[in-house]
Amino acid sequence: MLVIILAVGVLSWLIRALPFLLFGRGERPPKAVTYIGRVLSPAAIAMLSVYCYAGYVNARPPLEHLAMLAEFAAGAVTVVLQWRWRNPPLSIAVGTILYMVLVRFF
Amino acid sequence: MRPEETSRRPSVFGKAFAASIPVMAGYGTMGFAAGVLLAVNGGISCPALWGALSSAAFISGPLQYLFVDWVHTSLALVSVLAIVLCVNLRYSLYGLSLLETFRGARFWTRFYLIAGITDETYALEVACDLPPAEKRRYCLFLTALDHFYWVLGVTVGAFAGEALPFPSEGIDFAMTSLFLVILTEQCRTRVNRIPALVGGVSAVVMFALLVLLIGGARARADMLIPSMVLAIVILLSIRNRLEPLTTNN
Repeated sequence: MLVIILAVGVLSWLIRALPFLLFGRGERPPKAVTYIGRVLSPAAIAMLSVYCYAGYVNARPPLEHLAMLAEFAAGAVTVVLQWRWRNPPLSIAVGTILYMVLVRFF
Repeated sequence: MRPEETSRRPSVFGKAFAASIPVMAGYGTMGFAAGVLLAVNGGISCPALWGALSSAAFISGPLQYLFVDWVHTSLALVSVLAIVLCVNLRYSLYGLSLLETFRGARFWTRFYLIAGITDETYALEVACDLPPAEKRRYCLFLTALDHFYWVLGVTVGAFAGEALPFPSEGIDFAMTSLFLVILTEQCRTRVNRIPALVGGVSAVVMFALLVLLIGGARARADMLIPSMVLAIVILLSIRNRLEPLTTNN
């Protein structure tokens, strides 16, 4: 297990360091790279949100996919709370608790 | 600057700490949940120890949750490393937009800053508008704080998971909530909405495609890189329209 932890840790650092190793010497990265760097983060977060939901799609038996009420309801509540009150702990806590309750029924 | 003014200005650490409070909540819950899962599902002795070590070595929500899975199922090291690559590519692309920010920091500082690039840390680092030297210290404090919250969350969660009877069903929604919260905040800025849409749609398309091709279980694990590639391709193709909007920020 220590091997896994070390391997994952070292590899994680290496991959995260790639841009710094490639572009770190002081030369400016090409504009396309800068553009992607700027624009990728909202795309990545959106993608990760979908990734989370993909996990829930898998967790349900096939015919119940459309009835992912718990996931979508809790997700919608989270977003609405965050949009309105800008309070991440609140949004996360309420969303998660709501999900834990709803998932027992749906 | 007059003396009374300096005593009222918040320090860089203070600003970093204030900014990191939402992360404390997020990493606290996410880490706690990951720790609980490790204790409950992991089937290992001393989950708190392994939780602490793993969370210190790699700071990543997905990887931490996946770690629980690997420990439980004794997945082959090669598969483990393949997933590590996929998950971290996202962080390395974050590094692209942080090149300027970290320039000029000492070697070990840069080393640690790089190691600590995560979604939440990145989002806050990008949102920070301090002058360069202060911004580097801000990022360092932020990375250290976020790292600390994470390790603490996972370790405490592992202890709690061992000691208390936990309703483990559904607590992992904390991760989904956290991403949705970050997404919501990013979409307050108009410029981010199109990239977000592109990312989301790419992910849905790729997931659906993979489900058809290789089935649901593996589709989810394998969807990250194809989604990212598709999103980048689309974003590059609309670059002429989108880039002027981004550089005006």
